[in-house]
Amino acid sequence: MASYDLTPQIAPNLDRHLVFPLLEFLQERQLHPDEQILKAKIELLNKTNMVDYAMDIHKSLYHTDDVPQDMIERRAEVVARLKALEDAAAPLVSFLQNPNAVQELRADKHYNLQMLNDRYQIGPDQIEALYQYAKFQFECGNYSGAADYLYQYRALCTNSERGLSALWGKLAAEILMQNWDIALEELNRLKEIIDSKSFSSPLNQVQSRIWLMHWSLFIFFNHENGRTQIIDLFNQEKYLNAIQTSSPHLLRYLATAFIVNKRRRPQFKDFIKVIQQEQCSYKDPITEFLTCVYFYYDFDGAQKKMRECEEVILNDPFLGKRVEEGNFSTVPLRDEFLENARLFIFETYCRIHQRIDMGVLAEKLNLNYEEAERWIVNLIQNSKLDAKIDSKTGTVLMEPNHPNVYEQLIDHTKALQGRTYKLVSQLLEQAQAPAQAAR
Amino acid sequence: MASRFWTQGGSDTEEEESDIEDRIEKGGAGETTANAPGSKYLERNASDSDDSDGQKRVVRSAKDKRFEEMAGTVDQMKNAMKINDWVSLQESFDKINKQLEKVMRVTESDRVPNLYIKCLVMLEDFLAEALANKEAKKKMSSSNHKALNSMKQKLKKNNKQYEELINNFRENPESEEEKFEDGDEDEESDGSGSEFEDPLQIAESSDEEDEGEEPEDDTADGAWEKKLSKKDKLMDREFKKDPSEITWDTVNKKFKEIVAARGRKGTGKFEQVEQLSFLTKVAKTPAQKLEILFSVISAQFDVNRGLSGHMPINVWKKCVQNMLVILDILVQYPNIVVDDMIEPDENETQKGADYNGTIHVWGNLVAFLERIDNEFFKSLQCIDPHTREYVERLRDEPMFLVLAQNVQEYLERTDDLKSAAKVALRRVELIYYKPQEVYDAMRKLAELSEAADGEKDGDEPKVEESRGPTAFVVTPELVSRKSTFPENSRALMDILVSLIYKNGDERTKARAMLCDIYHHALFDEFSIARDLLLMSHLQDNIQHMDVSTQILFNRAMAQVGLCAFCVGLIAEGHGCLSELYSGGRVKELLAQGVSQSRYHEKTPEQERLERRRQMPYHMHINLELLEAVHLICAMLLEVPNMAANTLDAKRKVISKTFRRLLEVSERQTFTGPPENVRDHVMAATRALCKGDFQNAFDVINSLDVWKLLRNRENVLEMLKAKIKEEALRTYLFTYFSSYDSLSLDQLTKMFDLSDAQTNSIVSKMMINEELHASWDQPTRCIVFHDVEHSRLQTLAFQLTEKLSVLAESNERAVEARIGGSGLDLPLRRRENQEYAAGTAAVGGRWQDFSFTQGRQGSSGRSGRSGGGRPLSLGQAAGAGYSRNRSGQSRGTGGYSGRTGSGMRGSQMDASARMVSLNRGVRA
Repeated sequence: MASYDLTPQIAPNLDRHLVFPLLEFLQERQLHPDEQILKAKIELLNKTNMVDYAMDIHKSLYHTDDVPQDMIERRAEVVARLKALEDAAAPLVSFLQNPNAVQELRADKHYNLQMLNDRYQIGPDQIEALYQYAKFQFECGNYSGAADYLYQYRALCTNSERGLSALWGKLAAEILMQNWDIALEELNRLKEIIDSKSFSSPLNQVQSRIWLMHWSLFIFFNHENGRTQIIDLFNQEKYLNAIQTSSPHLLRYLATAFIVNKRRRPQFKDFIKVIQQEQCSYKDPITEFLTCVYFYYDFDGAQKKMRECEEVILNDPFLGKRVEEGNFSTVPLRDEFLENARLFIFETYCRIHQRIDMGVLAEKLNLNYEEAERWIVNLIQNSKLDAKIDSKTGTVLMEPNHPNVYEQLIDHTKALQGRTYKLVSQLLEQAQAPAQAAR
Repeated sequence: MASRFWTQGGSDTEEEESDIEDRIEKGGAGETTANAPGSKYLERNASDSDDSDGQKRVVRSAKDKRFEEMAGTVDQMKNAMKINDWVSLQESFDKINKQLEKVMRVTESDRVPNLYIKCLVMLEDFLAEALANKEAKKKMSSSNHKALNSMKQKLKKNNKQYEELINNFRENPESEEEKFEDGDEDEESDGSGSEFEDPLQIAESSDEEDEGEEPEDDTADGAWEKKLSKKDKLMDREFKKDPSEITWDTVNKKFKEIVAARGRKGTGKFEQVEQLSFLTKVAKTPAQKLEILFSVISAQFDVNRGLSGHMPINVWKKCVQNMLVILDILVQYPNIVVDDMIEPDENETQKGADYNGTIHVWGNLVAFLERIDNEFFKSLQCIDPHTREYVERLRDEPMFLVLAQNVQEYLERTDDLKSAAKVALRRVELIYYKPQEVYDAMRKLAELSEAADGEKDGDEPKVEESRGPTAFVVTPELVSRKSTFPENSRALMDILVSLIYKNGDERTKARAMLCDIYHHALFDEFSIARDLLLMSHLQDNIQHMDVSTQILFNRAMAQVGLCAFCVGLIAEGHGCLSELYSGGRVKELLAQGVSQSRYHEKTPEQERLERRRQMPYHMHINLELLEAVHLICAMLLEVPNMAANTLDAKRKVISKTFRRLLEVSERQTFTGPPENVRDHVMAATRALCKGDFQNAFDVINSLDVWKLLRNRENVLEMLKAKIKEEALRTYLFTYFSSYDSLSLDQLTKMFDLSDAQTNSIVSKMMINEELHASWDQPTRCIVFHDVEHSRLQTLAFQLTEKLSVLAESNERAVEARIGGSGLDLPLRRRENQEYAAGTAAVGGRWQDFSFTQGRQGSSGRSGRSGGGRPLSLGQAAGAGYSRNRSGQSRGTGGYSGRTGSGMRGSQMDASARMVSLNRGVRA
């Protein structure tokens, strides 16, 4: 099952710190040997300042109490640097911690800078120090501190480049603190900046979008509204293009979101085409399931894929999120996914059949006979399905479903009105233009 | 042919012999063969001398050849004497003096050949005779008279230096006999080729000769005066001094003089090349040598001034060698900078090899390289592809690639990445169309010729040594003469292309991208090629590019189409190819031949332009294969489509070309067995319409173009599966009205498909509402629904139909008046959307979880190729093609204007000076 693990593809697009949750998850699922994961963690930590944590891992990995010398040295170095940065940023930090002083700040950035410079002798150097300090805090794993400082830094910074990286930092910090609401806000802010035309190079822009999408996975699969918003974000043309060009593995998340989200039908059709097109560059059971149902109409295949999907979902750090309920934990997304996938199969199946054997149907739906019957009865009662069960032969009979002729006629003529209207308005425009010109 | 000619010449002269006998003591009957028409003939065929075996023989036969030439001239002189034509006599005299120098070189002796002396004696006698005959003199025309007088003086002056020899000869006329014997051994070997065979050597030999003669006789100048122009005389005088006396100044002065004479009337092109090459030998500083070498190359470019002709091949080779020498110098002295932007200091090149600062030399490596490439391209255009010559010419390609590689490396070292990208593009353009097999062959050839070169290289140093005293600046061969081709052409392409993408300008990048796409398509990587095409947005702005880039685009599209077909993407393949065929001028669009148009007479100018754009034969895409693929794609799409819309066949036409062909073939009273590609596809279509897949496949399988495909088995397999599928669809469309139900088993048996396949195909048709039917699962049957409308309903539908036609024609009328083309497309699209929404609504209670794909199966399919991408492939390609076509029909004006600034522009204007050539490149 490890073959469907996307961590290697996803990790390069994440911040170092954001990879930890993924590794934790993998460790929990035991897809890879523990040792490898711990090593990977140390590797990650080497570039960060969380030396204590690295030491702990080192101890548990090698079952010793000794810590390599370089780690100890590094720790001393980190502490010294922390001290230095703290001193450098001290004036500004103390100013910001003083509620009275903070009230003097206004919405006008230039005024603020002027004011700080005149009255508190806080110049650009100190502000820069604040940024460095915040970054260092983040590296040390003090996310809440980093988030605060970055927030304040953004209020004071004038360099847009720096402001952007501060925003990225803030987003990462919020994600790591699991403040999904705030993180979502930051995400949207970041998205606006990225989509604005002033962005440097197109390549850079695409790369930023890819990053944004990867980071947003944390938010969308944890926020209650996330599954709608992930479609809103990913299915935008620009973002979809970015996915297709550089990170087709994100299609898995989009596909899942589409499956569990019932109200997104119109975009769904186009999405199937995209999946079809990208088949050569990316496929996993979830996308294959969709192609089976909507492209090849291969229901047996879909069946198989559905079972594989379950595995994939359970092993995916984003999709397989667990919710503890009393003694046992469930994966809410899995249940939802299976239910919807079943519905997909059934719906398509019904559309091309007029008589279906209940036994076959039950098998196709991964249910037993009684369950299937109950399920269908439910559907019929909720008037989602125009069918009757013939229990003597054990079949479901579909009511023939022909498009109503009158509605068809209305459809045909509906467009005419709009077209004519547009034609007339265009004619009038044309007529007016020369008239005005003549005048 | 040549030999026949020679023998003719021989017999001719024998007749004449008797006439001349009184003047010449002993006629050299055999030797007089090379008479005037003969040499003319040879001149015409100058390029022949390039034959490899001919070259091998050069050393052995050069002596003979020279003698032969000389004999020919003597003969000419005899003829002139007969008719008392002093003007031509004077010319011949000049010529023989020139030839003398060559003879001296090959014989490597100081002794003047007896033939020459004999000739002098003969002339002297004739002159005396003419002067004596006062009466005849009076009758002469003024020009003739003038010539006679000048001849008198010239001869007097010239003969002085050979006085002794002449006297000897007069005493003992027989002694010259022996020399002549070798003369006729090598008759068919091509004499006049030597004229520019090796300018370097010639110049050098003259130089050697000069030095040899100088101490003996200072008055020898007189002889040179006649055969060389004034400038040469000067040059000789200056350089006849002791080598140590030659200074930078003298060389520079001489160089300036020669360059100034460039392009002037009466300046021999070959002569100039010779003179300049000679100068490179005596150049005092590396920078000067470099400067002169640049001029040599541009003089070599001058050799052919015609627009359509190409540079003689041996000159081309020389040119490549010179470029390599330039690179040697540049590598040896990294402080020398080549630049064409700044006007270097007058005495910049005076700085010697030990000078430390940078030395600027005027020149443009890239422009030269591109010019050399263009000449190569042109020569391939001109040479008949079915001859051996063409193959021989193709063998020179590795040579150029080596040069390009070296230039590119040099440019990369000097951080001129932009130019390096240009050079890389040239390399890409030589490689992109080669399948792996051809590429491998080229690699092998390069290795072979390297081995041969290695042997030659062994000889070279010796030659260099023998020349030793003259070449002041000796340049060791620093730049490798070997090319390093990676195993895989893809690897090479990747390296080059990524360099270009990083550093190239717009046009270079676009061309590289197209080559890249072509190459990917050639290797059956459709998805990569498609992604590149779509991402580059080339199809949006291809119509703003120059013609040759447009042709490249067409070629790339054709290749992508072939590739799509090979991987089984019929609709995409059709999308790529249909526009190419819609105008019926494929040849023209691909630049693979001139297509005759019935309606437009082309002006000669237009035709010439078109000819100049042609692709060399080895780069062609096989047109038969292309046509077969296009028609088969069209067939697979169109046949079920026609079956589905039997009632209003006119409305949904996928391929107009195909429909037209089908109509033509249906109109025939008798259908014979298929002969060409078209017939085959039409026969297959007829079978397919009846659902007879086996027959259809057999007919198509019998086409012999399939052998051109690399993975032929797979493609045919795929084709068979597709034909079966479409046969099933066609069958269902055609006969569903006759059935109430059809069993799955029967269908699978009929079309030899698996259950799952049949199920999938039929289900797809049901979902797309192409087929009004549904499965009866327990009995495995298709049950057809009766969807007949009542009379009133039918009429109502007809009414709405007519209404929409009305609306459409209104729109079209307004459009024509206003000219707003934006109206139509968005409207149509919106209508589609509404329609889809409408059907969803019809779904009624299904609305909540129903997935309607809309009723327009066909429109959906055509859109599939593009999908969510910015532009659907088919559409985009269409735009590109149609624009291109309109551009072409606009004719000469549009084209010449556009090409003027392009690369090929500079190629067309072969007479361009170096300056303007450079400007063309920069533009």
